[in-house]
Amino acid sequence: MVSLARKTLLHDKARFLSTVGAVAFAVSLILVQIGLFLGVLGKASIPIERARADLWVTSKKTPTIDFAHPFTENAVLRVRGVPGVAQADNLIVTYAPIKLPTGAQENCLVYGLENFEEWNLPWLVEEGNVRELNRGLNILMDRSATRRFGPFRVGDYREVVTRRFKIIGVTREADSFSTVPILFMSYRNLQALSELLDGNSTYILVRLRPGADVGRVADEIRRRLPYNDVYTRDDWARQSRAYWVTTTGLGVQMGLTVFLGITVGVLTVALTLYSSALEHVKEFATVKAIGGSSWEICRIIGEQAVIVSLSGYLVGLVLSLSLKSVIATHAGLGVTVSPQFALTVLMWTVVLCLAAAMLSFRRLVRIDPMLVLRG
Amino acid sequence: MAKPILAVDQVVKSFREGRQEVEVLRGVSLEVFAGELVVLEGPSGSGKTTLLSIMGCILGPTSGQVRIAGEAVNGDQPRSMQLMRRNRIGFVFQDYNLFPALTALENVEYALTIRRRGGRSPREEARRVLEAVGLGDRLNFLPKELSGGQKQRVAIARALAGSPPILLADEPTANLDSATGAQVLDLFRGVARAESRALVVVTHDPRVRGIADRVLAIRDGRLAA
Repeated sequence: MVSLARKTLLHDKARFLSTVGAVAFAVSLILVQIGLFLGVLGKASIPIERARADLWVTSKKTPTIDFAHPFTENAVLRVRGVPGVAQADNLIVTYAPIKLPTGAQENCLVYGLENFEEWNLPWLVEEGNVRELNRGLNILMDRSATRRFGPFRVGDYREVVTRRFKIIGVTREADSFSTVPILFMSYRNLQALSELLDGNSTYILVRLRPGADVGRVADEIRRRLPYNDVYTRDDWARQSRAYWVTTTGLGVQMGLTVFLGITVGVLTVALTLYSSALEHVKEFATVKAIGGSSWEICRIIGEQAVIVSLSGYLVGLVLSLSLKSVIATHAGLGVTVSPQFALTVLMWTVVLCLAAAMLSFRRLVRIDPMLVLRG
Repeated sequence: MAKPILAVDQVVKSFREGRQEVEVLRGVSLEVFAGELVVLEGPSGSGKTTLLSIMGCILGPTSGQVRIAGEAVNGDQPRSMQLMRRNRIGFVFQDYNLFPALTALENVEYALTIRRRGGRSPREEARRVLEAVGLGDRLNFLPKELSGGQKQRVAIARALAGSPPILLADEPTANLDSATGAQVLDLFRGVARAESRALVVVTHDPRVRGIADRVLAIRDGRLAA
């Protein structure tokens, strides 16, 4: 079946390409910006999502996983006694200075735990064995540390606080939101680095027995540890991300970018379709004169909007995926474009282009077919 | 006695121009029968295009009645007018009004798609009609690649497609040279006779008079005797 909408749209190639370009620009702006946002934000909660803990006990008002405050490590004993708890262990997360071979000093974020394997921390070990962490002054360092700390190899030594640690392995994906590289070492080694940590922990990881009621167990822990907070994994991950979104203004910036992207896209599509409609006004009058209904006019404009949105989206998606690898290679930043996110943007692109087409539709639906007889 | 396919009864049409009410048609009545070619002529501003628009269900009359194939047209209901245009009327315009992005074949096919006629596929039917108007070798040409006469033939094919019983043409030869105009008129004549369609042509062209069954003159919104 012949499509007047498609043929007319493609007939004016320059106009079509500029409209598709505008949609593609808006789509890639949104995909890359939000993808970057999600990619960076994911770092704020990735250890929480990867660790096999159902509940996290934190000190009161801990804002995010990176900014922990110490509390007595004996609290874990009270948690272990709560009905429904299968296992509970202390976890220390703290910043510590690290000396680099260049003589420079940087900060690193150190995770200290007694049984790493049990809690799936670290979750991706590229080289080395986590069991070795408890056998001496050993550390695992994340691959991403290369950017800040320079190149390193297994077998190298680094001084953390005042002690020399041997790098016995390399992890991946353990990247903090603040870009401070993450290290893993044994709980006791980490505790020994600072007087503040002596006899203290910063988190308790809790795993429940099968069938245990998460809410009830959390309530009981809260009752027993009134000076701590207790979160489910999802709540804690959400809070850790929300902290960065609200305190850094990242959310506002992202909202503005999305708003600008949408505005540019919608306005361009609306104006292009409208000017195209005005240019082809006599053709639309002809459609009506030969028996076409208002619905037919609506269908033509709608089809054009869908073609423009799908073409623009596809170009924008390809552009974004290309930029994604460029950004990852050159800036070391992850752009998260999940299928669900990509589909959501596709849906909104089509919906907004259709909304943009309403401007033309309102004008054309009232068009007088008499126009074709007046010359 | 045969019933008219198109009947206009005491039609008045007035337009508001500023504060003034201008009466363009003043009680026009006429009947057109199947197979008949009627020419409507008159000076500019006499009301012939308005009358053609009312007969073509593009405009509704201020008063009076239009009946097409015995069915009264309700000028107050755009949907009813649109259905009449779609199902009963084929238009040929002075400026052709072809869709520039569509080929000759697609122009006709698109009109058939709007008319949603059953039977053979719109493409096949479009091809048949275009061959009938002598454009079998120009099916895939865009309007800009066709001469004025060829464009008018495509416009005629588009009006014929779907077999509407009434064809209305507005100055169909105005933009054509005399030889091409004559060919187009022959085509009209043939269509009206061979397919028993009623054809109303608004024109200034004296050549059209020669092939008409009836010539109606309109002056100051009234049909002249």
